[in-house]
Amino acid sequence: MEKENEIAEKLKKHLKNNVFEVKIPRERRIFVKIGKTALKDAVKYLVHELGFTHLSTITGADTSEEIELIYHLAYKGSIELSLKTTVPKEKPVVPTITDIIPGAVLYEREVHDLLGVAFEGHPDLSPLVLPEEWPERVYPLRKEYTLEKLRKLTESTES
Amino acid sequence: MRYGSIIKVPFGPQHPALKEPENFMFEIDGEIVVGVHPRIGYNHRGIEKAFERRTYLQNIYLAERICGICSDAHTTCYTQAIENLLGVEAPPRARYIRVIIAELERIHSHGLWVGIAAHEIGFDTLFMYVWRDREVVMDLFETLSGNRVHYAMNTIGGVRRDIPADTVPKIKHGMDFLEKRLKYYLNVVQNEQTILKRTSGVGILKPKDAVELCAVGPTLRASGVKNDVRVDDPYAAYDEIPFNVVTHDGCDVLSRIIVRCEEMLESINIIRYALDNMPEGMIRVRVPMAVPPGETVSRVEAPRGELIHYAKSNGTTKPERYKVRSPTLGNIPALCKMLMGAHVADIPIVLAGIDPCFACMDRMTFIDDKTNKKWVWTMQQLRRKTRK
Repeated sequence: MEKENEIAEKLKKHLKNNVFEVKIPRERRIFVKIGKTALKDAVKYLVHELGFTHLSTITGADTSEEIELIYHLAYKGSIELSLKTTVPKEKPVVPTITDIIPGAVLYEREVHDLLGVAFEGHPDLSPLVLPEEWPERVYPLRKEYTLEKLRKLTESTES
Repeated sequence: MRYGSIIKVPFGPQHPALKEPENFMFEIDGEIVVGVHPRIGYNHRGIEKAFERRTYLQNIYLAERICGICSDAHTTCYTQAIENLLGVEAPPRARYIRVIIAELERIHSHGLWVGIAAHEIGFDTLFMYVWRDREVVMDLFETLSGNRVHYAMNTIGGVRRDIPADTVPKIKHGMDFLEKRLKYYLNVVQNEQTILKRTSGVGILKPKDAVELCAVGPTLRASGVKNDVRVDDPYAAYDEIPFNVVTHDGCDVLSRIIVRCEEMLESINIIRYALDNMPEGMIRVRVPMAVPPGETVSRVEAPRGELIHYAKSNGTTKPERYKVRSPTLGNIPALCKMLMGAHVADIPIVLAGIDPCFACMDRMTFIDDKTNKKWVWTMQQLRRKTRK
C-alpha cells in the first residue's frame, strides 16, 4: 500500500484544494474525487509525472442531479486509479483529454452518446454506438429514461 | 501504388471479410488506405442498462452472455466485482478452478483466432487443422461444465462445479496432445512462406503508438510492451502460479500470431500446475442477496486483453450502475493506426489481427437493427416468439 499512499499524497500536493476525497479501498485501487476545473491538470500530471500512461476506460454515471465521470487510469498496468469528477446535468460540459491520451477518443464518444456529456475540443463527437435514427437529446443511460420510456420513444421513430 | 485521388469505400456492416456486423469507412488512394473511420454499435443490446434492472444473481447469466467466446472472462470479472463489494472472498479451491477454466478458454479463443487468421490469408488447411485440434478443449469444457460455450462455472462467492479427481488425467491427456500440436503450429507459423509473406511487416503498431492509443492484450504484447493483468494486478490464483508473460517485438501481424501461439503453450503449463497444486476444500461460500452501498473496479486478462468492469451498488439487490469495457473497444484506436498505409488486400488480416469480438464491444442500445429496420421486443413478445 506504500506506493498507493505515495501517489495519493503527490496528487494531493499537486492539486491542493481541488482534491475533494481520496480512498484506497485495497491494494492497487485508488479512488480520487476532484473538481471539474482541475481535470486536465490532474490527467496531465498523472500521465506525464506519475506514469499513469494507460487509460482503461471512462465511465459515466447518472447520480440524479449530476453526471459523474470516472477516468480509470493504470500505472504500469498495475495500480488502477479512478479519477472522479462531476458535471451538472443541465450543462454537462468537460474538456477533452484526447490531446493528452489519444486512446481516449472512443471512450469520450461513448459517454457522449449515452449520457450526453459534451467533451470540448474532441475531434469528432458523431454517434458511435447509437443508431443514426436515434432521437436527438435522448441519452439512454440517464436514469430518467426508463426502459418503458425508451421503448415508446424509439417506437415513434419507426416507420 | 497511389493515384492522387481519394475514394471512399464502405466496409461492412455486412461484409464477406467480417464475421460480425461492424462498419469501417475507408479512404483509399489507389491501393493504399489513407483514412479509417470506425462505426460500431451494430450489435448493441443494452446490456449495461439491463444490468440495472436485474438482481445480482440474474446478472451472472447476463454477464456470461456479453460474449460467446470469452464468456468466462466476463463472469470472472463480474463475480470478483460483486465479491469485493460484499467483502467476501472465493475459497482457494474455487480460485484455482477459475484459473483452469480461464486458461482453457484462452486456448480455445486463441486457437479459434489462429484458424481465422489462417483463413483470412487463404491458408484454409491450417484453419481446419487448428479448429480440429481446438475440439479437444471444447470436449473438455463439456466434460467439466456440461456446456461447450457458456460454461456457467462462476457464481458470486466461488464456482458452481468442482473438478473431480477422475477428470484430472483426462485434462492432462488433452494438454499433452495440444502441446505437441501447438509446437508444430509454432514451427509452421515461423517458417511457412504462405504465412510469412502475408503477415511479416504487415499492420505495424509501434510500441509508442500502442501505449498512447491504450492498446491491450496480445496486440500490445506483440508490440513488445510487457503488460498482463494476470501478473500486474493478480486475481484468482494467478499470484501463486509461475508463468511467463509472452512478448514479441515484431510489431506486425506475424508477431501477433506468435504471441498467441506461445501464450497457449504457457496456458497449458498453467493448467498443469493448477491441477497439481489445487488445494482441497469447499468451492463456494454463500452470499446475501443485497449488496451494501459502494463501488469497485474489477480487472481480468481476457484472451483479447485487459477487461475492466466498474460496479456501483446502492444497498439493494440490483446494481446502481454497471460498466463493462471489453478489450476489443480498447484496441480499435490502435487498429485504425495499423490500417493506415496498409494495402486494401491486407485489410482483412490486419482487422483480424487484434482478434476483434464485436459482440463484446457493443453492449448498450435497445434495438435490434438489421437492414436499417428497427424493432424492440418486450419480454412477453420474445417468450411468445420462442414458443412458436
